[in-house]
Amino acid sequence: MKKNYKIYLLALAIMVSSISCNKGNLNNNKALIYWSSNNTEEIQFAKEIVDEWNKENPNNKIVSQPVPEGQSSEEIILAAVVGKTTPDIYSNMWQGDVESYAEAGVLVALDTLPSFKDFIYQRCDSAVVKEITSLDGHIYQIPWKINPIMLLYNRNITKGIGLSNPPASYSDFYEASRRFQKDSNGDGYIDRWFGYSEVLVTWWQRFFDFYPLYLAASGGGSLVQGNKVTFNNKYAIEVFRFLQGLYNRNYFARESFQGRQDAFLGEAIASRFTGPWEISHTEKFKPKGFDYDFSPLPVPDDHKGPIYTYGDPKNIVIFKTCINPLMALKFLEYSTSKSNDLKLLQVTNQLPRRKNIDVDPLFASYFKKNPKMGSFAKQSRYVKGTDASPVLKEVFDIISQQYEACVIFNKKTPEEAINDAANAVNLLFLK
Amino acid sequence: MKMNKKVLPYLLVSPYIIHFLVFVAFPVAFSIVLTFHDWNIISPMKYIGLNNYVRLFKDQLFITSMLNTLLFLAIHIPLQIIVSLFFAEFLNQNIRFRGFFRGAFFLPVIVSGVVVTIVWQQLYGYDTGLLNRGLVGLGLGKVGWLVSTKWAMPSIALMATWKNVGLYIVLFLVGLQTVPAHYYEAADLEGASHSQKFFQITLPMINPTIFMVVILSTIGGFSLFIEPYVMTGGGPLNSTLSAVLYIYKQGFFYYHMGYSATLGLFFASLILIVIMVQKKFVEKDK
Repeated sequence: MKKNYKIYLLALAIMVSSISCNKGNLNNNKALIYWSSNNTEEIQFAKEIVDEWNKENPNNKIVSQPVPEGQSSEEIILAAVVGKTTPDIYSNMWQGDVESYAEAGVLVALDTLPSFKDFIYQRCDSAVVKEITSLDGHIYQIPWKINPIMLLYNRNITKGIGLSNPPASYSDFYEASRRFQKDSNGDGYIDRWFGYSEVLVTWWQRFFDFYPLYLAASGGGSLVQGNKVTFNNKYAIEVFRFLQGLYNRNYFARESFQGRQDAFLGEAIASRFTGPWEISHTEKFKPKGFDYDFSPLPVPDDHKGPIYTYGDPKNIVIFKTCINPLMALKFLEYSTSKSNDLKLLQVTNQLPRRKNIDVDPLFASYFKKNPKMGSFAKQSRYVKGTDASPVLKEVFDIISQQYEACVIFNKKTPEEAINDAANAVNLLFLK
Repeated sequence: MKMNKKVLPYLLVSPYIIHFLVFVAFPVAFSIVLTFHDWNIISPMKYIGLNNYVRLFKDQLFITSMLNTLLFLAIHIPLQIIVSLFFAEFLNQNIRFRGFFRGAFFLPVIVSGVVVTIVWQQLYGYDTGLLNRGLVGLGLGKVGWLVSTKWAMPSIALMATWKNVGLYIVLFLVGLQTVPAHYYEAADLEGASHSQKFFQITLPMINPTIFMVVILSTIGGFSLFIEPYVMTGGGPLNSTLSAVLYIYKQGFFYYHMGYSATLGLFFASLILIVIMVQKKFVEKDK
């Protein structure tokens, strides 16, 4: 029996020491840990830039790892923050999450590091810098990449219904929808709709309908500013009314298309609000002769000025657990340099958030080869991320609840729905 | 050796004790502490006294989610009992391919809840779903299975019944096989009809099984989560927002850990009370 105890103790000692040794190895090398996204292309991109950096900086090494597998990278980061096992650098942070992490004090204020301001103004224009500035006046993130939401449309269908251009205004969109809507099998029910948007009430679904359309209509307006509601305006009401009209007239289907054959490729729908990730999917699965393109989102008939959209930005942060934030910033300045932005574009087909990318000669040959990505590059001048607010998800959830009641089920007028949403968000701020 | 004899029993039960302390006792104690705090996981906890409890009783959405859960239970439990008892009776007869049918009815129980939910989502589709195609084919109108506030919860209850009925068939089969055959023989001699035998002999004899099924489906029904989470997200207009889904949303969508723990504690206490009441009925019946 005594012998068994000794074996248990020895096994325990080996386990504990092996865990400590693993940790010790990393610390001894002083290599910084960089978590990238865990899709194949981004892992490859991270590996290439880290290998190059390590070759040039053998005394300041970076170790690249994909973010561990989980239900979502957001959950993994949250678990890492709670467990104090955050990497030094993370490159796939949704902009809307940054404020709550900043408020919790787990991120490095990058603007307190020397050379950051020069670097950020070289990369971004002042509007973007303003957008990423937190409520406390500091900057905790580097804008890295965007996936702007645009109107994906079937060119054969738009030509077929007599349109020379994709619908640009709400009236155009209604007219195109009217022309395309059909009961193909004669059962008395519509089975062909001009567009589609997911009807689920989940808060982030509004990134693909209400929010980009609101940004388009309002010229990049905000939802909240500090602890103040700013979306209770005519633009939000107009967007609700426009979308409500689409559902009321049966131009959009009220059912979920999840899990069924791609309705766009199957031509059950002619358009949808989506991002550049659609290109590789469509190219891979499109039937012969299928012709598609992207255009800016529809806007109110009296709209003037540029057409904004939601950029779905993913940014880079340095966690406070980082032992050498200066070195981390140096690495980030390198990894987001113009040439590495081009590499990001070439390897991952994702758009870097860099000013003037659409006219920069370095990127020209890529956009010439990939004209559909060129549309997104042009749109990138007019994209917006999210407002700085630690309760942003709740704001979106409240809007989404009202969206469902008004737009999908016609239980409220747009004015009532926006007003109720604004009151609920105000209550949220009072708590 | 004497020392070892004293230590050994503790050593043998220690895995369970450690597991219980780490995975049951500590989380329960911690969640009770949490109910008095405001905590979003990443920031330090803030003591707020009874605020979470005050909020709970004023929270209209939580009341809605409770009512939705009760509606689900009101449809699901009777349906579950009737359907599973019917099929158990059927499978208790000397029919051909009995073994195959017993296996087939149990199959949905072992299939992942998410998979079942996705398949039913296709069946329930408004424009393209098989059920509505069938209805239209019969000259009837389409039903908004998942898109109408009136139909969404009954549709989920129907699906949940289909998913779990196999388990309750097995329980009822066990119950039916414990009814002594001579009761039926005596009833036959007295000229009792089939329905008389069912209501006068079978039902009273399997009463304990019925109560067990009621308790199990009550617990299962109270924990309704996967179906609305995957199929409807709690919509349309919160008509399928179950209490557990609401607790989950508060905890893991908005990181209101303190409030979520309060809702969880309240809900768990409620289930405990319901089960205790049901237990009283069972004991009384015995």
